Amino acid sequence: MSTTEDDLEARFAALVGTNVSSHEEAVAPDPVNEPMIRHWAAAFEDANPVYTDGGAAAASRFGGIVAPPLMLQTWTMATPVITGIAERGGAPRPAQGRSPLAVFDQAGYTATLATNSEFEIVRYLRPGDLVSASTTFESVSEEKVTRMGRGRFVTWLTVYRDAGGEVVGRQRFRILKFDPRTGS
Amino acid sequence: MSAGAPETLAFDSLAVGDALPPLVLDVTATRIVAGAIASRDFMPAHHDRAFANAQGAPDIFMNILSDTGYCSRFLTDWAGPDAMVTRLAIRLGVPTFPGHTLTYAGEVSGLREEGDEGVVEVTFRAVCDLGDHVTGTADVRLPRAGDRS
Repeated sequence: MSTTEDDLEARFAALVGTNVSSHEEAVAPDPVNEPMIRHWAAAFEDANPVYTDGGAAAASRFGGIVAPPLMLQTWTMATPVITGIAERGGAPRPAQGRSPLAVFDQAGYTATLATNSEFEIVRYLRPGDLVSASTTFESVSEEKVTRMGRGRFVTWLTVYRDAGGEVVGRQRFRILKFDPRTGS
Repeated sequence: MSAGAPETLAFDSLAVGDALPPLVLDVTATRIVAGAIASRDFMPAHHDRAFANAQGAPDIFMNILSDTGYCSRFLTDWAGPDAMVTRLAIRLGVPTFPGHTLTYAGEVSGLREEGDEGVVEVTFRAVCDLGDHVTGTADVRLPRAGDRS
């Protein structure tokens, strides 16, 4: 069975506004907490005292410990099933249902390159905040000819909310789905 | 702030073109793995060399959440503890591997006032042994109300 160009265009257009993952929303397995913040600050050797020094944090504009702003994405990362992760190509969990990205593979855009990550931080998170994330396709570009090959830029928008439903941040993440056989 | 604590920059002392102090990182396997796991990114390409090789990469490479983490450190190491990073937009370039030196450098590219706050736009890049690893812009908000004693 062959898929026509028009069918493909319609299927790409239909993705916009739909969920990127098979889950409606990813809820953080743990609330924002000081041990994970300390672990992060140590890994990145970030000495900003508002992350780890209660006294200095209390005297700052924040009035207490806050999480590093760019830890936003970390809280809702999927808890991995370690067994078999390499065999799954790095997917943290066994696939549930068909990936919405399958339509790109069918069009020959089998390879993926991340190109942009953009964050808007509405407020800094504090210990106890429970973050959830919902991610939808924001746009799919027309086919472009790139050095990597023919492909399309796909942008998804993640909206991060606290337990009260207030938006705490947004992230736009862009990938190039491309056909590696057509690269220069 | 108590004595000895790092100072927050005074917005009114800044000018477009001011350079930020560079952040120079020795990229080691340990640094890459530490950042990947602290950011809860268990993709094997960031900790398993055999997996990275099978994907066509010469070694494990730094994950994107580490890139953005180091961006925020680069900004607040300079701006101080009362700074708030409210926007970060990066474009991803070449990967960075163990053995590289990764240097973040940037400058003030815009200044604007919003109420009691000053917003500093910074334009920056992080360069590794293969070229531009990350390029981008960020907004950092600073309090403008005179004393923070």
